[in-house]
Amino acid sequence: MTALERLRREVSGPDGKLAPLRILAASGQLGYGIPEVALAEGVKRRPHFIGCDMGSIDPGPYYLGSGQLATSEAMTRADLVKVLKAARALDVPLLLGTAGTAGAAPHLEKTLALVRDIAKTEGLHFRLASIRADMPRDRVRAAVRAGRVTPLGAIAPLTEQDVDEATHLVAQMGIEAFQRALDAGADVVIAGRACDTAVFAAIPAALGYPLGPALHMAKIIECCSICTTPGGRDALLGTLDGDSFVIDSMNPIRHATPMSVAAHSLYEQGDPYRVIEPEGVLDTRAARYEAIDEHRCRVSGGQWTPATQFTVKLEGAVRVGERAVLLAGCADPAAIAAMKDILPAVEKNVRELVAPSVRDAFELHHRVYGIDGVVAWPTAVQSAPREVFVMVECIAGSADTAKSVVTVFKQYLLHHGFPGRISTGGNLAFPFTPPEVVCGTAYRFNVYHVMQVDDLETLFPVTLETL
Amino acid sequence: MNLLDIARVVRSKNAGPTTLTIDLLFNDRAGYDRALNATALTPTAVAALYRLRADQVEVIPYPPALAIKIVMDRALVAGDPGDRDVYGAQQHGPLLGVTL
Repeated sequence: MTALERLRREVSGPDGKLAPLRILAASGQLGYGIPEVALAEGVKRRPHFIGCDMGSIDPGPYYLGSGQLATSEAMTRADLVKVLKAARALDVPLLLGTAGTAGAAPHLEKTLALVRDIAKTEGLHFRLASIRADMPRDRVRAAVRAGRVTPLGAIAPLTEQDVDEATHLVAQMGIEAFQRALDAGADVVIAGRACDTAVFAAIPAALGYPLGPALHMAKIIECCSICTTPGGRDALLGTLDGDSFVIDSMNPIRHATPMSVAAHSLYEQGDPYRVIEPEGVLDTRAARYEAIDEHRCRVSGGQWTPATQFTVKLEGAVRVGERAVLLAGCADPAAIAAMKDILPAVEKNVRELVAPSVRDAFELHHRVYGIDGVVAWPTAVQSAPREVFVMVECIAGSADTAKSVVTVFKQYLLHHGFPGRISTGGNLAFPFTPPEVVCGTAYRFNVYHVMQVDDLETLFPVTLETL
Repeated sequence: MNLLDIARVVRSKNAGPTTLTIDLLFNDRAGYDRALNATALTPTAVAALYRLRADQVEVIPYPPALAIKIVMDRALVAGDPGDRDVYGAQQHGPLLGVTL
């Protein structure tokens, strides 16, 4: 009997009614350290399954572009040990979405390698399913030609060239892919790029719980205790009970209040009332948030409308060049006051100086932290800060060129003469040397689009193995 | 009255790499209603603070959390060369000075 069939037997009552389903959200970002006390408390509640989210598009294009994880191997491994041991001790499914930060093939492979190694060293035995999320380029190109791909927000329309150039191109899988893995007999599912919600809604959907509340619960619990006050990363228990669900943080100091949970429904959403999934749309306009006691909140009213046309969100990143940066401070009032003129003057000088020696094209960006390094303010700064931090970034065709450019920039910025200069020893304070840092390859997102598809199954293939 | 006199949370974050969203969570119904009717929080006024066109900004009331959500196009896709804030978590500053 598969793990899913065992669950079905456990929650199905003689009258055909479904018992409350307990879902433990163990981590909203696996690999940054799972707080152990709350996880242990969650295991004591005997959840029917454990879910973890391991990635997001939020950390930027580098991870998807490069195939690297944002989390360290040691911490990732430690977190995987915790959730694998917990799920195996309870003999319940473990579902993990967006393996290795970005969920493309190299991220999935690195995560699976850790899972296999942990199973071996910890003596764990289970059926492991992995689900790939890398898109076949020919199908995406065909969709572009057929006009079935549209931009998601402020990004250019997708071209076939973008599809070819992306180093990795993934789509977010939905509940359908997880259900196929579970139907195939998986105890543990490690998925590539996935909707955060699918990790937590796939089993409720497979068991026949109403999809509106199931998806709404999934949307809230995927970040664990961030929906509580004070918010945190502790494990969170969601209990799905007919048309409503209960949110209960496994850390007793983190309270799920109607206000904190409702506010979380807004979080990182462009539309606070609608969440679009591959298989349909969750609508929370009629949602109600009620306190059960000071620690727990009951939520009801989420509505699910199945899609008439399946869609998937595509994500891709392309190499831009090699990046090097210069890091330096400044505490001279005259230099700070003149910095907005000094930097373009130095840039002009540097471009002339390096032109005969470097072959690659390069771009330069400078930031003055303390003035407008973070925000493109609508108005000028009111009073000059005592100190500023200067960051000069070069992206070039080669790392050598990027480093050459910022190195020359360093020296000419250090000794740049300007009207009213008094600190003729140098305009910069270096916190360490070398103050030029080579950062590796720079990427940008060139794909963030929605693609109409007629068949989800062939886009997200499942592979099963026994450990 | 300043926004911070009546709001307990003013947070910004990406909603995907092409969209910035700013949530204003108010202390009470009176503050929420006041903000909802304020000219300083219309799409036109917010667009001016972020150097955008009014049609790139949407202001959405969210009564269950006594909140207003502001959704706007990002000038650059998150992480593009020249971006200042990959997560978009520090873009609330221009709103902190508004009077309602």
